[in-house]
Amino acid sequence: MQAWYLNENPYPFVPPHVLDTADSVRASLPNKFCDPKVAADLFEEALDEYLLCDDVGINVVSNEHHSGINCLFGASPLILGVLARQTKNVRILSLGSLITVRKDPVRVAEEYAMADVMCRGRLEIGFVKSGGSEMASGNANPIGIVDRFWEAIDLILKTLSYREGPFSWEGKHFTHRHVNIWPGPWQQPHPPLWAATGDPTTSAELGRRGIVNVMVFRSAEETMRAWASYRKARAEAGLPAPGPDRFGYTAFVYTGDTDEEGVRVGSKLLWFLNTGLKSAPQYSKLLPGAVPPEYAPALYRTKPRPGTVAAPRPAAGLIGITPEQAMAKGLMFAGNPDSVYRQIKEFREKVGPFEHLVLASRSGFMTHQEATKGLKLFAKDVLPRLAEL
Amino acid sequence: MTPTIERLHLRGVDLEVVRCGAGSPLVLLHGAEPVSPGAPFLPLLGRHAEVLAPSHPGFGHSTRPADFDTVYDLVHFYLEVLEHVGHDRVTLMGLSFGGWLAAEIAATCSHRIGRLILVDAVGIKVSDRETPDVLDVFNTAPAEVRRRSWHDPDRWAPDYDAMSDEALVGLARNRDALCLYAWHPYMYNPQLKRWLARIAVPTLVLWGAGDGVVTPAYGRAYTALIPGARFDAIPGAGHHPEVEQAEAFVERVVDFLEE
Repeated sequence: MQAWYLNENPYPFVPPHVLDTADSVRASLPNKFCDPKVAADLFEEALDEYLLCDDVGINVVSNEHHSGINCLFGASPLILGVLARQTKNVRILSLGSLITVRKDPVRVAEEYAMADVMCRGRLEIGFVKSGGSEMASGNANPIGIVDRFWEAIDLILKTLSYREGPFSWEGKHFTHRHVNIWPGPWQQPHPPLWAATGDPTTSAELGRRGIVNVMVFRSAEETMRAWASYRKARAEAGLPAPGPDRFGYTAFVYTGDTDEEGVRVGSKLLWFLNTGLKSAPQYSKLLPGAVPPEYAPALYRTKPRPGTVAAPRPAAGLIGITPEQAMAKGLMFAGNPDSVYRQIKEFREKVGPFEHLVLASRSGFMTHQEATKGLKLFAKDVLPRLAEL
Repeated sequence: MTPTIERLHLRGVDLEVVRCGAGSPLVLLHGAEPVSPGAPFLPLLGRHAEVLAPSHPGFGHSTRPADFDTVYDLVHFYLEVLEHVGHDRVTLMGLSFGGWLAAEIAATCSHRIGRLILVDAVGIKVSDRETPDVLDVFNTAPAEVRRRSWHDPDRWAPDYDAMSDEALVGLARNRDALCLYAWHPYMYNPQLKRWLARIAVPTLVLWGAGDGVVTPAYGRAYTALIPGARFDAIPGAGHHPEVEQAEAFVERVVDFLEE
């Protein structure tokens, strides 16, 4: 099993009364509440954590969100540029440029190809459908995301892999008459591909395409449902059964000297769910296209009626979660090294083998020192045992 | 004068049409929501005109073909509808988003239109690049949208808690459809302003005096771009004067039709 470190680099230092009175901590919170000097320190700390990972054998993940306290990394390609040069050993996953928001997938492919060449073939490319407040921040139509997602992926893959350019693309959502990036990627025909989704329909398509299906903060049940859909789609298409390397799982992970320390410090990670997800209704439950109209009765009414079908909005159900609940659901693995190993092993036995464990191991008010200590302990006392799984 | 609901099959669309009244034909293009058959203004207007109110493809109970997804499609579809309604000329009325469609249609093809009525219409860019003309109903807090949509929101704004499941599903479907057509550029066609001068029929621009979605000043600017058009504001109404001031609204429309 391989480990991957993800720090979304949130900015928690907004006065509590501002957060309490704001209807959303994403998209609409003015950036006057973000001090660039503090942000600079946070960037430096996060990059130092990634360099530590490079030394101790934990791969690194660069993600991207916009206009909110949950994530200061507004441009994954910029961070890839730093990581490509400053890390030397581990693999680098971009999870990822928001391709349903970006106007030109060719440019996305160009950035990825450059990063892959600069790090001499250590890049992995992850796709996210995005949605929610990112549609406002990115000025992107929330209707038609799924279609845009797949067409963008198709164009990015052809851009990365086609060596005899220029070629022309006149699709439904994207047109580019003269595609010919220099350089192409180091890894031919293209770097390994991932996508983050717990939606079984999307997982099925990932299965048919052989793309790594990574879960991000999903329960065991949701994970099993998505991966079953992945396997079934491959079987139905007459494709070989997927190996564990096609599956990844993202959890809050913190390793302490003792169980008490692991859970106490690890619980700080839940800030991501309990504070960082707060989003106004117009960016979330009332956003057009977020769920089919049939779920409107559950979303529009302030007083629920009995028998109304709940909308599939997994993230919304996580706000307010306690550490005990998070650990029971497999969303958080925390404790001393033995406990963390055992929790991961048990979770893996429950959902089935997966090769990639993404460690969301710094968030909220957890300090750089705490994150560093947890990563070192994980690398020393947990990771070697995971390799045996 | 009870409205009836009919179906029209055209260009792959199964179109829902509310029909009400008798007299010279008036095609009514709705805004964010299809015209309700129970709307009090309908029978009032039906005393003076035969009202045909289609639900745009994707709204209400009208179907939308998969590749039908732009205002361009809607405009061409309604040009065809006008060919099919069986009249040489109709009065074309558009509310809000439907006003945008009506203006596009009139600028394209005035020969099927006898008169044009734009009501709290969107569709053009008037203010400078840093001043939005139309309230962003997708990115604005619902309470603010409610406040700015109505002169008297407590009386007129929809109460989601009281609505049926079916009505709420319809509302969400309409919102999805509006978002598909009008997200970008938001609620306008940058080229339309130039071509409004082609509109060669008597035109009335009606506005809710208290419209906070798109202001009466925008309505006056719209009016100035259409040769010979007349502007009138209806007191005590927001973005939906046909709902909040049904009688005053119909009175003004009838006066215009009888000019």
